[in-house]
Amino acid sequence: MLRLWNAISCLLLASALPALSAQTQSFENSAIVRTIELGGSLVHVTTTFAVKALKADASVYTITIPAEEIYITNWLEVKVKGNQEPLTVTYSGSAGKAHNLDVSLEKPLEVGETINLVLETVQTHATWPWPPQAAQKEEQALKYQTPLFVLSPYITNVQRTKLKASSPRIISHTTPENVDDFTLENPVTKSGATVTYGPYNNVPVSANQEFIEKYQQSVQLHYSHDYTVLEVLKLRRSAEISHWGANLNIQDDIILHNAGPELKGQFSRLDYQTQLFYGSSVHHFLTSFTVQLPGGIRNTYYYDQIGNVSTSRLRTAPSPARGQKNAQSSVLELWPRYPIMGGWNYTYTLGWDAPLADSASYDASTGKYIVSVPVMTEIPGSVVNDAELTIILPEGATDVEYVGPFPAHSDELSTHVTYLDTVGRPSITFKYKNLTNKHVKPIYVSYKVPLTAHLRKPMAVATVLLSLFTFAMIARRVDLTIHKKTTKDV
Amino acid sequence: MAIHTQVWRAVYGKSADAIEKSVENVDESIRAIICIPRLFPFTFGHVDGLPLSNNVSPTTVANTASLLRIVAFGLISAAAIASRLFAVINFESIIHEFDPWFNYRATRVLAAKGFYEFWNWFDPTAWYPLGRVVGGTVYPGLMATSGVIYNFLHYFNLPVDIRNICVLLAPGFSALTAWATYMFTTEMKDSSAGLLAAAFIGIVPGYISRSVAGSYDNEAIAIFLLMITFYLWIAALKQGSALYGTLAAVFYFYMVAAWGGYAFITNMIPVHALVLLLMGRFSGRLYVAYCSWYAIGTLSSMQVPFVGFQPVRTSEHMGALGVFGLLQIVAFASLVRSHLSSKQFQDLLTVSVISMGLLGAGAFIVMTYKGWIAPWTGRFYSLWDTGYAKKYIPIIASVSEHQPTAWPSFFMDLQFLIFLFPAGVVLCFRDLRDEHVFVIIYAVVASYFAGVMVRLMLTLTPVVCVSAAVALSTLLDIYVDVAEPAVPENENSSANGTGAATADAKKAKKNAAVGSQAGPNAAAAASSTLSDIVNAAKSSSKSSPSKQKGIWGADARLVIILNAIGMLVYFVFHCTWVTANAYSSPSVVLASSNPDGSQHLIDDYREAYYWLRMNTPQDAVVMSWWDYGYQIAGMADRGTLVDNNTWNNTHIATVGKAMSSPEEIAYPILRQHDVDYVLVIFGGLLGYSGDDINKFLWMVRIAQGVWPDEIQEPNYFTPTGEYRVDERASDAMKNSLMYKMSYYRFAELYGNGNAIDRVRNQNIPKIGPTLDYVEEAFTSENWIVRIFKVRKEDPLGRDLKSANAFAQGKKRKRSKPVSRRRAVV
Repeated sequence: MLRLWNAISCLLLASALPALSAQTQSFENSAIVRTIELGGSLVHVTTTFAVKALKADASVYTITIPAEEIYITNWLEVKVKGNQEPLTVTYSGSAGKAHNLDVSLEKPLEVGETINLVLETVQTHATWPWPPQAAQKEEQALKYQTPLFVLSPYITNVQRTKLKASSPRIISHTTPENVDDFTLENPVTKSGATVTYGPYNNVPVSANQEFIEKYQQSVQLHYSHDYTVLEVLKLRRSAEISHWGANLNIQDDIILHNAGPELKGQFSRLDYQTQLFYGSSVHHFLTSFTVQLPGGIRNTYYYDQIGNVSTSRLRTAPSPARGQKNAQSSVLELWPRYPIMGGWNYTYTLGWDAPLADSASYDASTGKYIVSVPVMTEIPGSVVNDAELTIILPEGATDVEYVGPFPAHSDELSTHVTYLDTVGRPSITFKYKNLTNKHVKPIYVSYKVPLTAHLRKPMAVATVLLSLFTFAMIARRVDLTIHKKTTKDV
Repeated sequence: MAIHTQVWRAVYGKSADAIEKSVENVDESIRAIICIPRLFPFTFGHVDGLPLSNNVSPTTVANTASLLRIVAFGLISAAAIASRLFAVINFESIIHEFDPWFNYRATRVLAAKGFYEFWNWFDPTAWYPLGRVVGGTVYPGLMATSGVIYNFLHYFNLPVDIRNICVLLAPGFSALTAWATYMFTTEMKDSSAGLLAAAFIGIVPGYISRSVAGSYDNEAIAIFLLMITFYLWIAALKQGSALYGTLAAVFYFYMVAAWGGYAFITNMIPVHALVLLLMGRFSGRLYVAYCSWYAIGTLSSMQVPFVGFQPVRTSEHMGALGVFGLLQIVAFASLVRSHLSSKQFQDLLTVSVISMGLLGAGAFIVMTYKGWIAPWTGRFYSLWDTGYAKKYIPIIASVSEHQPTAWPSFFMDLQFLIFLFPAGVVLCFRDLRDEHVFVIIYAVVASYFAGVMVRLMLTLTPVVCVSAAVALSTLLDIYVDVAEPAVPENENSSANGTGAATADAKKAKKNAAVGSQAGPNAAAAASSTLSDIVNAAKSSSKSSPSKQKGIWGADARLVIILNAIGMLVYFVFHCTWVTANAYSSPSVVLASSNPDGSQHLIDDYREAYYWLRMNTPQDAVVMSWWDYGYQIAGMADRGTLVDNNTWNNTHIATVGKAMSSPEEIAYPILRQHDVDYVLVIFGGLLGYSGDDINKFLWMVRIAQGVWPDEIQEPNYFTPTGEYRVDERASDAMKNSLMYKMSYYRFAELYGNGNAIDRVRNQNIPKIGPTLDYVEEAFTSENWIVRIFKVRKEDPLGRDLKSANAFAQGKKRKRSKPVSRRRAVV
């Protein structure tokens, strides 16, 4: 149960509205289209609900997520189609194997009025390699499984599910049974890289035990995947703010894992070099990857436990101009020491210095600094299983407040003592699980730094040096000779 | 991609198989260095009173000179440190080579877990399955030093990484060495010679070779300790000071805790004392200095667990004990003499000296014979007989550092100092004070040792710097001195070479006018000065002051001074060049250049080690030749069979046997030792000459030493006596595990072309070796490191060879039934 609550707390945006109980049959779905973009670690699911209000003042729409998906869904957002602003979503309990989410619409709908809601979710760890082992020259294939029907507490006129694989080489897919009630045509069609289930017409209220037991079933897709399945087992990011150096240092310690099929047999360099040379179609090993870093960064470093990794290329972009939205980013091409074959691990540390002005601003009215620190840097196509972000504020910072883009598993304030500190620096530690590319958002931290805190470090150093000199001065003048006599010059 | 055709340029000089044989051990507390004003060089020392102006007070002159010395010394320290940073700038802050990786690993344990954990550290991964008691088998001085610095910095919230402390320890200590050499040389001559010596030792390649940044080895701090101990010994001897003797003992203890080469001090000081005794220079000063040094130094050195009772039980230390005893006798004799008449004393002396001598020698022989005193070790014998190791202990001979020194390396390491060195030693004969005797002995002994073993060049370097500085400074003293020699009527003022400084200002002015006429005489004067130095040295200067000697004129001075400056400048260039090109390669990372001239790093070692670290079970055991043991432990964090602490010859021979035997014979050995992976270094693709095939004969020899019936060196040569790896290679060679692993699938890399081994420049046969008992697990980008996994026994109980053949669908060859009918003979 704990896991469920973790998953739910992770899902939901903070809501000011009290949870309203779903008014059954205040809506009907004229159409539901679910598009599943299959990936490796991440699966993006976009579900569009064409909704028609049946009662007046219908303001809360309920979306149902089946139990088998709620655990793997790690990011969720509901928008009105065409709008940028997400709607507020509240968890409203489960009915059997279905979990309900209440979406508060911006304004109540009139009878017969329609609206298109778009539910975007990202599932992690939803695919698994099959066969679980692959030799160096064999292809990588993954399996994905999902419930056939999109559940809803409302009647649905028509619904369909599209599964899009990354390559047209689809090895197999399930043909659903017992769907004659909803369709007379072929229940599944495949064209190119897309497999479509449906359209299924006149689906009754499906978010109940009865429907689930009668009709709900899992469909499975077995497909070739042309990209490496990457997982970041652990990400430890620390961001250190320095006002003296006008610097924001960010350092990531990363444990990278190739979660694709495990390497069968052993690694052969000769075959690998041949594969690279002839541009082979085998993609389950990682030779290099690219990450986007902020513009204007300096002193980028990339090393692992035994030293510098000399095989990376960095193209730095200039710092963004003030107020400019789409800034250029620096591009870092990382080459691990060795190609990461299936099941292999690699750890590294990546860090850089960025001008503080790029991510901080000073609010003169309150006397507070506001700094934004991104939760993570995306490694394309990978999920971060465990993340820990530590933001280290300047020594002596007070009135620390922070707001995150989504709730953390835990966050705590502590003290971090480092370079020539006397009392230590306040630091905030956030912990997250299963971060995806949708989670690359900044945390905002605001704090005050009094002038005395700025001066603390030079004062401390000056005091120590002064006392050292004073001691030396006194020590030079004290004569400890026991035996007073004219010293022989040597 | 990845097939780098650029031939990697192997940097010689520090060869790949450098090891530190000596196991080091620990002793804890580095005694706090007692800071007493006398150790601070800059406030003392006299100033050569140049007659610049009469208005300047002596205090001002002294202060100015002192300030200049501090500035000069600061610059020397900066140069010493900066010139050692090539490795960090060209590569990165990384630990170099082989032994430093162990020291680094031990230091990490010390820093992370504290001293007592380190002291009691048993390392189960080394020498699998034997393990190693690290605390009792290392010289802990180096690690303790880094640990103290680490804790000190962290106490002040300076979060410096332990790796950076280890990397920069040697450059830091080189500045201290320069200071110690300054103090030592100042005792020999004066502070200007001291500054020269400090500058020399700061940048001389012979010392830099062991102390570049990242070369985290015992020698990094040992040379400083050597020089400071010698300086304190000289200071104690000069003053008869028990305090200095004690300080010398404290630093001696530090030295014992830091380096196996402490035996050099253990024997140098007694030899010095003995020679002084034989020269009839016994004095209370000698007695006090020696006894305080010996008693405290020996007792404290015995606190180091790795040394233990050696100071009273092994032959190397007996000299010091003997001299200690002798001094007591002599002191007693001189006491008796002061109470007896000379006739009685003569008789007594003759009898007692003879009987005591016989008694002592007899006791020594008996004790050695009985085993109470350990006999000399093999490494020690190899100091006297350079062929000894080759004959009896191949493992010592296999280390390139233990080879006799080649002539060019003297010039490479010391450049022009090597020919100033004898001049400086000769100059020491002129005064021949007690401390000069020390330098002379040191010079003779160290020269011999440096000729015997490459690595002992390190102990020669300081004395070369000291005596070269004495020689050069004497030369400069004569030629820089602006005072002209006095005109003939003033006879006594400047009789010998150095004394030209005493003419007063008035005379100098007067002579300046004369100087211009004296040009033609200058060359003659210069040469006569040199011969005068030699004469003075030969016949302790009883020259008749008949003829006035000296240097007239600026041109004569300029010729010599410019020459000297030229030599110094070339020396600096030479040192920089040698340091940058020969001694600053980490040897873990190799550098080559891309076609466009940019640097290309060949990082195969770390690639493979990191792969081991990340993708093999934590308790996996890796077998490799012992050179790579420390690196595997340090970088891959996996267990090893043998490493650079070569204490168990049999274990190493076992690995040698496994490597040089055919697979079927090697396999049981591998399984018995729980070996999971076998690692070989193969340079054939890149032309990296320090690879295992080139070291292979040592493996064979060492294995042959233990199993002479099974492994024979001649089998690995062709019938014509060549060492080949191509088609003509001998069967034993081709079937050996080492050969098979090195060349496994190598020929396939070239497709239809000729597979050429770039190290040995031989064509590798098209049909490469096949492996049945091990399988390729990882090969690094440039094929330098190849790792093979040892297969488990076949689950069906077949031998792996036939299991493999079955898996590949080959028909088993039916062995021909034995013919019933015997052939008629």
